[in-house]
Amino acid sequence: MSPETLQKKFLKGLTEQFPDILGKLREYVPGQLIAVLSRDELPKVTKYAVNQLGARFVITVATDQRDKTGDFGISYILAFDEEKQFLVLHSNLPADDPRIESVTPDVPAANWAEREAYDMVGIVPEGHPDPRRLVLPDDFPAGIHPLRKEYEYNTRFPSEPQNAPPRMPPPEGSTVVPLGPFYPTLEEPAYFRLFLDGERVVGSDYRGFYNHRAVEKLGDSELNYNQVPFVAQQICGICGQVHSCAYVEAVERACEIETPMRAKYIRTILLELERIHSHLLWVGLAGHIIAFDTVLMQLWRIREPVMWLMERVTGNRKHYSSNLVGGVRFDITLEAAEDIRRVLDKVEEEFKAVVDAVLIDTSLMARLKDVGILTEENARALGAVGPTARGSNVAIDCRVDHPYAAYDQLDVQKQVQDGCDCWARTLVRLYEVFESIRLVRKALDQMPGGPIMAKIDGSLPADRIGLCSVEAARGESHHYVRTGDNNRPYRWRLRAPTYPNLQAVGCMIQGVNLADVPICIGSYDPCFSCTERVETLDVNTNEIRVYTREELQELSRRKTLG
Amino acid sequence: MISDLCKKMLSKSLWLFHTNCGACNGCDIEVIDVLTPYYDVERFGMKLVGSPRHADALVITGSVSRQVAPALKRLYEATPDPKVVIAVGTCAVGGNIWFDTYNILGGADKVVPVTVYIPGCPPRPEAIIYGAALALGMVPKKVKPQREQHVPRGFDLDAYIARWQDTPVVTR
Ligand code: SF4
Repeated sequence: MSPETLQKKFLKGLTEQFPDILGKLREYVPGQLIAVLSRDELPKVTKYAVNQLGARFVITVATDQRDKTGDFGISYILAFDEEKQFLVLHSNLPADDPRIESVTPDVPAANWAEREAYDMVGIVPEGHPDPRRLVLPDDFPAGIHPLRKEYEYNTRFPSEPQNAPPRMPPPEGSTVVPLGPFYPTLEEPAYFRLFLDGERVVGSDYRGFYNHRAVEKLGDSELNYNQVPFVAQQICGICGQVHSCAYVEAVERACEIETPMRAKYIRTILLELERIHSHLLWVGLAGHIIAFDTVLMQLWRIREPVMWLMERVTGNRKHYSSNLVGGVRFDITLEAAEDIRRVLDKVEEEFKAVVDAVLIDTSLMARLKDVGILTEENARALGAVGPTARGSNVAIDCRVDHPYAAYDQLDVQKQVQDGCDCWARTLVRLYEVFESIRLVRKALDQMPGGPIMAKIDGSLPADRIGLCSVEAARGESHHYVRTGDNNRPYRWRLRAPTYPNLQAVGCMIQGVNLADVPICIGSYDPCFSCTERVETLDVNTNEIRVYTREELQELSRRKTLG
Repeated sequence: MISDLCKKMLSKSLWLFHTNCGACNGCDIEVIDVLTPYYDVERFGMKLVGSPRHADALVITGSVSRQVAPALKRLYEATPDPKVVIAVGTCAVGGNIWFDTYNILGGADKVVPVTVYIPGCPPRPEAIIYGAALALGMVPKKVKPQREQHVPRGFDLDAYIARWQDTPVVTR
């Protein structure tokens, strides 16, 4: 462990409570501590770190390592954002009895992660308040966990319809309004059941994971290091660069590959351009959702030159195919740099005009202000990320907290608002566009010369672990890579920003008017494709209920009594 | 035959219902893109509608996951005849890189008959407009259609569909 790490505050807190943990901590990669604990210790340390030391729960990684060590592995990844540190708590579970005590009752953000660990690998979270099937399709055979190594990525599993997880019963006296799986406002399939008392939402039930495409399984079984980035970018049509960049940086960190600085700058520039077009897209869609189509048309008109620019610079409007482990595949030439500057000048000027109009528009404000409240405590407890968190006064931004690519040299300003409503989330995104334009210009100015690809001799070392968080337009995308033999990843885990944000939606729409539900769901910029890269899911959001059951009952009773 | 009928009945205004069946979003955004000022597909009378019962054409993106297949089938049945089905993007055309993973059926034509295929990852907005025009017979076809052999999949789609009969597909 480096001396700086030893000085960190959270470590003091941790060692005070658990003195023998110090001997178990290893820091193979700077900023990433790994501790192998027993299965009794792990939940205790996780709960303590999250609830007493302010750690942010990121994700769990369940691994089938029976071919190597004869057991299963589970890692809980925590982030200490202020201290720029990741903490991986790992435990090995015997193959015939893969159980671990659930932390969800104390750490609500772990809810989906633990259920996914059961679905995909078969690790049982004991005492989980809602242990229903999350990711797998309704009719998937029971007892089959597709991420286990004995299954091929292309196995065709039979259909067993009796396995469909039960739906959540609506509270007494409420009306059920189904929404989806295909519905007009959002692009992607998801199935919400809203429980209403009159026009007001008193509860909700969510069924998603319609877009699960078995990406992780492909990465674990079929592909080698340099093929994965091309699959990773197709996880999402908007933040493709984010996923491929997070993956390659995780491998580079694990294998200590020195990426040339110029390559890092090129990644940064592409990432920021992606953020610009994503935010423009979102603000337009938000306008569309509340029937303000001028905003949609204006912003998409402003956005289109950015898409053309991307095509000129990278060769494709989306899916830039730029990243490889060790560098990037193409350079940004002087002419391309000029092109980027020219387009950004135009975008900035036009966007400024729209923002000035939006900021004083009373009808927009009436629809967005005080709608879809996500309080700061709830945002923290549910692990919300990105503009959703920053709109609720939670100042986390991976570009600053866990710098990657060339962000440590760019001095990023976090955009934070304390309104906690849809309006605050909109403001965060509006200001971030200007910030991104500034960052691209600065990066173009500072970009050093030199090679764009590192030399990699022979194969990459096996059994190293690398983590990387990349700030996508929607929030933190987290990738975990454990390297394996033959230049293939042994385990590749990714967590998209919508994954935690989606868990916060039940909380956001609690108590709002039915007509405001689409904008609330829209306001965290959902991207189901990213989230559902693995399979199909059914979820009840009872973990993030603001009303207790008693309160709900009270409500319905009052209604009956008039 | 169907395209003759469509040419006659739909060529002045084609209403589209867009559905994402396991796409990455890339194609979906390009579909919306053709509505915005630079491409403005509404000048051809095409527009997106909110319900398949109002639609003349289904625009399908994505490689069709196991979970979405029954809903897609019901969507197809809900669209009134005559209808055209447009598969947008490599995913909907043939399943793209995940065509044979355990949760993917591998393309829209595994579930519903497809009239026009628009490949590309994602296809350019111009290509989408061209494909829609092709479906309507507004531009001449350059290739002869070929019948593809049905590839049997390892599980029983009809069993799925029966199970989903009671699930509402579209609600406004
Ligand atoms: S074809 Fe490409 S852009 Fe379209 S949904 Fe598939 S992966 Fe995404």
